Order: sequence, then structure tokens, then C-alpha cells
Amino acid sequence: MNYEFSKKILIVDDEPSVAVPLQFLMEQNNYNVMAASNGEEAIDKISKFKPDLILLDIIHPGFDGFEICQMVRENPEWQNIKIILVTTQVRDVDIAKGMAFGADAYIAKPFSNAQIMKQVKKLLQCN
Amino acid sequence: MSPRNKFWWFAAVSIAITLIIISSLFILFWHQLSLEEKSLLISIFKQDFVYIFSAAFLLLAGLGFALDAIFNVYIIPTSKLVEETSLITSVNPSHRISIEGSKDIMRLIQIINEWADRYEELQKNIDQKIHIAKAKSEEEKNILAAIMSELPEGLVICNAEGRIILYSKKAKEFLAEANTIGFPGYKTESGSGRSLIGDQDKFIGLGRSIFNVIDKNLITHSLDEIADQLKHKQTNVASYFVIVGKWNKLLRAEVVPILSHLKKFTGFIIIFNDISQQIETDRRINSLFQSLTKSIRSSLTGIRSTIEAILEYPDMDKEQLQQFRKIIHKESIILGDILDKTVSDYSINVKTQWPLFPMLDSDLACSIKTKAAEKLGLIINIEKSNEKNWIKVDAYSIIFAMLFVLNKLKSKTEHREFTCKLERKGQFINFDYIWQGDPIKIETLREWGKHVLIINNEEVSMTLKEVISHHNAEIWSHSCNNTIDTVQKRSYLRLFLPAVETFERDDIRNITILPESRPEFYDFDMFNQPGQSPEMDDRLLTEITFAVFDTETTGLDPTGGDKIISIASVRLVNGRLLQDECFDQFVDPERSLPFESTQIHGIQPEMLKGQPTIDKVLPLFHRFAGDTVLVAHNAAFDMRMLQIYEAKTGVKFINPVLDTLLLSAVVHPAQQDHTLEAIAGRLGVSIVGRHTALGDAIATGEIFIKLIPLLAKMGIYTLKEARKASRKTYYSRIKY
Repeated sequence: MNYEFSKKILIVDDEPSVAVPLQFLMEQNNYNVMAASNGEEAIDKISKFKPDLILLDIIHPGFDGFEICQMVRENPEWQNIKIILVTTQVRDVDIAKGMAFGADAYIAKPFSNAQIMKQVKKLLQCN
Repeated sequence: MSPRNKFWWFAAVSIAITLIIISSLFILFWHQLSLEEKSLLISIFKQDFVYIFSAAFLLLAGLGFALDAIFNVYIIPTSKLVEETSLITSVNPSHRISIEGSKDIMRLIQIINEWADRYEELQKNIDQKIHIAKAKSEEEKNILAAIMSELPEGLVICNAEGRIILYSKKAKEFLAEANTIGFPGYKTESGSGRSLIGDQDKFIGLGRSIFNVIDKNLITHSLDEIADQLKHKQTNVASYFVIVGKWNKLLRAEVVPILSHLKKFTGFIIIFNDISQQIETDRRINSLFQSLTKSIRSSLTGIRSTIEAILEYPDMDKEQLQQFRKIIHKESIILGDILDKTVSDYSINVKTQWPLFPMLDSDLACSIKTKAAEKLGLIINIEKSNEKNWIKVDAYSIIFAMLFVLNKLKSKTEHREFTCKLERKGQFINFDYIWQGDPIKIETLREWGKHVLIINNEEVSMTLKEVISHHNAEIWSHSCNNTIDTVQKRSYLRLFLPAVETFERDDIRNITILPESRPEFYDFDMFNQPGQSPEMDDRLLTEITFAVFDTETTGLDPTGGDKIISIASVRLVNGRLLQDECFDQFVDPERSLPFESTQIHGIQPEMLKGQPTIDKVLPLFHRFAGDTVLVAHNAAFDMRMLQIYEAKTGVKFINPVLDTLLLSAVVHPAQQDHTLEAIAGRLGVSIVGRHTALGDAIATGEIFIKLIPLLAKMGIYTLKEARKASRKTYYSRIKY
């Protein structure tokens, strides 16, 4: 598999039971995938790995999903990174808040693989 | 001017006029005489000067003595007779005249006293008839009053100006802000444990403004809403708001208008409900729900993604497949745990909102014994200690739980008789059910704990474990002795309940006893009260709200360093002393207490230790007094005392003041004695607790109530007239 020209995806989730199958799914779809389990690690990997898209859980140790979203959008070098919030917080206010912080899409847990792949492909095609 | 002075002024003027007339006649007579006649008279006068002078002196002396006798025998007794007869006909029919005077006066007194006996008897008969006639309506009022005072909701009724005309006991509990000045030993003088309004920072009482305890804007907003609803002719008119009450309780207030028959707004009712518990329960349920959905979503995500990946990629390597299987297994276990935890949290947070009530351990044991005999056919022999121990239980659920256990025990041990031994061990009470044989195994008890409580088709929708944990209790079984001989072996099943040292009596509703007289927080007449800000001076004494107060001090010299050691006040509204609305507080004088003053008021130095200082007490008293008219006996002294502290405390009493000493002198100018005891004796007021601030304040209040009709007889109706009359009296010249 040639990862050199494939799109890069960062999965930020502290739950291995969510992160592992997601990582498998993305890899099976020829994406170059990395995972982070907390806020600090996520920021570190964004700066080094420079992902094209982040699958971002909101609640995890360190910076939360909203903070990471804000940091990405405030950094001019990261403006093109697409962000999908993947979360258990599904109230309308949470969705509105996520979009206000600069997320491109919002997917509620539990989701189907088809649903998340559709959204990932859609955003990466735009890119 | 006193009657004595008035009489002597009259006598002096009469004598002077008589002398002027005699002198004028003599001058006229002198001018008509010839020179010889004049010289003859002069020679006679010179010759008999001693006799003429002596005769004139004796004549004047005789006149003086005669006048004095007339004054003492007729004038003074007549004056006193008028005052004392007036007493009999007005405020004290039991009063009898005992004045020394002339024979005629004494005869008159005898007749008046005889007439007074008949008058008193007649009045008693009339009073009795009125009393019987009133009894029926009073009984209805008292039932209403008793219901009101025990209502679980706080209820306040105000007139259109926001003056409180009725409040329930619960409203006082909800609204009166706890004292926040934070000093130790802040307690009542009486030591009776009575909850005094004076202990509190915010005052709620008849005639007080509701805005004292609730923000005016809130009520105004509600009343505007109601006015709007009325304008749109809505039928269910009410407005709601939430406030923070005592102990930070959240209170939901419902405002309902009171309309006259002409649909005119005449007042409003505010009903308070404590919603703290409800909100806390809602919050817990909400939090439980949020936590549940988040956890389930998270686990389902793992399971769903993994299964979909397995299905979508059937050719995945074995290692990957195994990892995914483990994820599914782990998440399914997590889901089960979430479910268990939710059920358990729900029981603790929601079901266990049931309150616990105090009960004697022996009472609980007896109840279990009776029910066990009725429902299970078991014989329980109770061995109890003489000690009385209190526990807090939800009697129904704990008795049911124990019956459930005994039923299981009956099946397990095949015994029909158990001994119940009650014993206190430290902070816990043991309820040991003893039988002959082996103890129940821990696993068996744990299994019983999971069961929902059911006995003979009767069910409590809680498990044994839930009931036990709700009571912070424990249950286990053990052997009483270490023998292995099964015949000798005895075991017990122990219910281990926490003891309560002293239960809070607030938890128990008082027995409702109908009061003999109308309860003090009722007065519907106040609907007709004038507005909040009319000219105070022109208001009738019968309509004004008074704060009758008294101080006890270290001595009688306010300017010489004597200090207040106790201050008490009682409110007088619509001619009734509201003894439930009193202020009663010891004060640390920050100086020594002279032995002489202790002899008078009986307050010992150790009673003042730890009490608040005057700078803490006076602001509270100032708020208590509010915009009332102050009344005191010998008020000049008390007011001077308060004035001394103005600079230190920044509290200035600008309320109008009336003095019962001066008013007594107004209505009874012939009486020499205007001490509190003397006035009380004359007006038929009995003093309880003389020389305690509260006792004297109450006596002063009762005296003042009796003085009001006597003042009215003299044409003194308003505050201004009373003050004007007071100023004229002799005693007003006393200055402190």
C-alpha cells in the first residue's frame, strides 16, 4: 500500500474500542492513519503528522475536542485540515457549539462505518 | 398643672381680689370723713394697733386653715374620685375606690363602690353572654388558624400596599433569614428555646412590609403580570417566581391576587413551596440519564464499528479478527456493568429520597414482633435493655425487610420461635434474632439481599439490600458461641442500625391544639388599614403599629458610663400585643456589672459572657422596630441610652416616641405614683417578669393598650394629640 500520496487522517479518541476499528476502517480505505488518545498528544501529532482530516472525540483527557478544534482553526498553517467531531454528546447545543468552533461535520456515536466513510470521503474530496 | 397647684393659685387670686375690694371700700369711706373723725380713727388705731393686727392675723390664719381643710377633705378627694370612677367605668371594673375624705365624700365613695359591684357583676354577665355568642365563630376561626399554622406550604397574605396581614408558621421558617452576624452564644434571655423573631436578620410579622424579605421588583413584576392577566379576563390568574430562602432553600412562590366583590385589587397571597429536594432529584435523574446515554453510545460505537468491519472485511487476518472479538466482548461486559450501575444509582438517588423518622428501638422490635406473629406465625421473644435508644427509620420498609428476612430464616432453620435481643454498641443498635443452630452463610444473605421484598403476595418494590443501605444499616449472621455441638450451638442474625443521639424535634409535627383565643398572626381588619405613607401624626392611636420596648442597664446614669445589658421589644398591632413577634437579647456591656444593678434585674455577669455587643444588637433592633412608633415606660431614659450609642453604632432611632409614664400622668393627674407597678395596679395589669427587659416591655404594652381608651375619653385620639398632652405633664420636665 502506498501511503506517500494517500490522505492523512488523525483519530483522536481515548477509547481503544472506538479508535482501533476506526483506524482499521480508514487503513482499509487506503488512508494514512495515526491515533492519539489525549489532547496534548493530538496537538503534537497534528504539528508533526499534518493530517488532512481529524476524527475528533470531544471528551478525552487533556484539551477537549472543542479546544483542539479552536487551536486548529486559530493556526493559519492548519486552516485546510478538515475536522469531524465524533462524539457521544448529541444535544443540539453541543452540535451548534462544535460547528461554531470550526468543525466541518458532526457525527453522533454510535455510527455506521458507511456513514463515517461517506463523510470522510466527502470532506477529503472537497480538499 | 396639678390639682394642688391649681387650687392654691385660685385661693391666692381670690384673697388678693377680696383685699383689693376691702381696700377700695376703705379708701372711699376715708375720703368721706371730716378731719376730726379721721384723727379720732387714727388715734384709736394707734391705741389698739396690737389688737387690730392680731385680729387681722388670726382672721387670715383661720382662712388659710379653713381653705387647706376644704382642699384636703373636699377638693383632692373629689378630683381622685373622678379619676378612679372613670377607671371603673372604662378599663378596670374590678377597681374600688379607697380615698380618705369628708363624711359626705366617704358616703359618696361607699355608694359608688356599691354601684361598681353591681356594674361589675352586670358586665360579667354581659361578657359571658358575648363570650358564648362569640365562641362558635371563634371556633371556626381557630380551626382555620390551626390549619394555617400547620400548612406544609408557606403562606403570606398581604394588603395592596404589601403589608403582611397573615402568615403561616412555615412561611416564617422559609423566609426569615438566618442570623448572619456570626457570634457565639446568640440565644434568648428566656432560655425557653422559643424561636424568637429577634434572632433573625429579616423580619416577618403582621403589619410589616413583605418587601423586607422579598425583593420589591420581583413582586411588582408578578403583580404587573397578574394585572395583565386580569385585563385579558383570564380565569386562572397567578404569577410565579423562585427565590432563595433560609438555608439556601429554593422556594417557588406563587402569587395569587385577592379581589373585592367589585373586582378591585385589595391584596395578594404568596404561596411558597420548597422545591430544593425536587430540583436535586431532577438533577440527579438528569445526570444519571446523561451518563447512561453517553456510556451506552460509546460502547455501542465500539461494538457496531467492529462488527461492521468484520462483516465488511471477511478476509482480515486472524490477529485483527481476534482483537475485534475482544473489543466486542469487553464492550458487552461494559454495557452490562452500565446497566447494573444505573439501576443501583437510580435506587440510591431516586428511591432513597424517602425520609427517615425517629423511632424507639423497642417500638421497632415490638412492631416486627406483632407483624411476624400476624403474617408469618412466628413467636418473637424480646429481650430489651432499660435504655431507650432512638433510631431513624422508614418504618414500613424496614419492618417489611425484617419480615422478609424472618420468613427466609423460618424456612432455612425450620424454627418457629426466635429471641430478639436489643443492645446498644457504641453508635449502633443491634437487633439480634437468635435461634439454636448454625448461622446463615454470607453467600445466602447476599443472595437474599438481591431479592425484591415479597411476603404473601405483598410487595415492596425494593430489594433487601436497597432497604438496608437506605437506612445506613448492615445485616449479617454469626454464631453466638464457638461450640461445635449442634444442640448447644446458638446463632444470630443481626440488623445493625445507627443510633440517633437526639432526634430533631422539627421532624415531628406538633399536635394541633386549638388556641383559646384568636391566634396572633390573624387580623383581617387590616384590609382597611390606610396606606403605607400617610402623615403619621394624624393617624389614630388605635391604628398605629407600635414597638413597645425596654432596656436593662448597668446603672441609671447613661452619660456617666452605664451601658445596656439587655433589650427587649414586642410589637403592638391593631390593639393586640404580638408576643410571638418579640425581640429579646442580652448584650455584652464590655464593662463590669455593678452588684446593685444585679440585685434589681437579676442578670448575672456570666449570663452576658459570649453575648453580642451593642454594635451588633442595635442594628438588629433597629430593623425590628422598622417604621413603628416606639413606646416605653420612662422613655426619656431608654431613648437617651440608645442615643449614647449613635456615634458608635451608626444607628439612629428617629421613630416617634410615646411614654406610658407621661400618658398615665395625662389621664390620672391627681395620682402621685406613676411607676410601672402603680399604673399596672390601677389599670388591672399583672406584671410577669418585672425588671426583665421582655417582662417590662410586655407590661408596658398592656398598660399602653389600657391607656388608649382613657386618652380617647379626654379627646386624645391621634399620635400628635398624645404627644402634645404628654409634653404638658409635669413629668416631661425630667431630663436624662
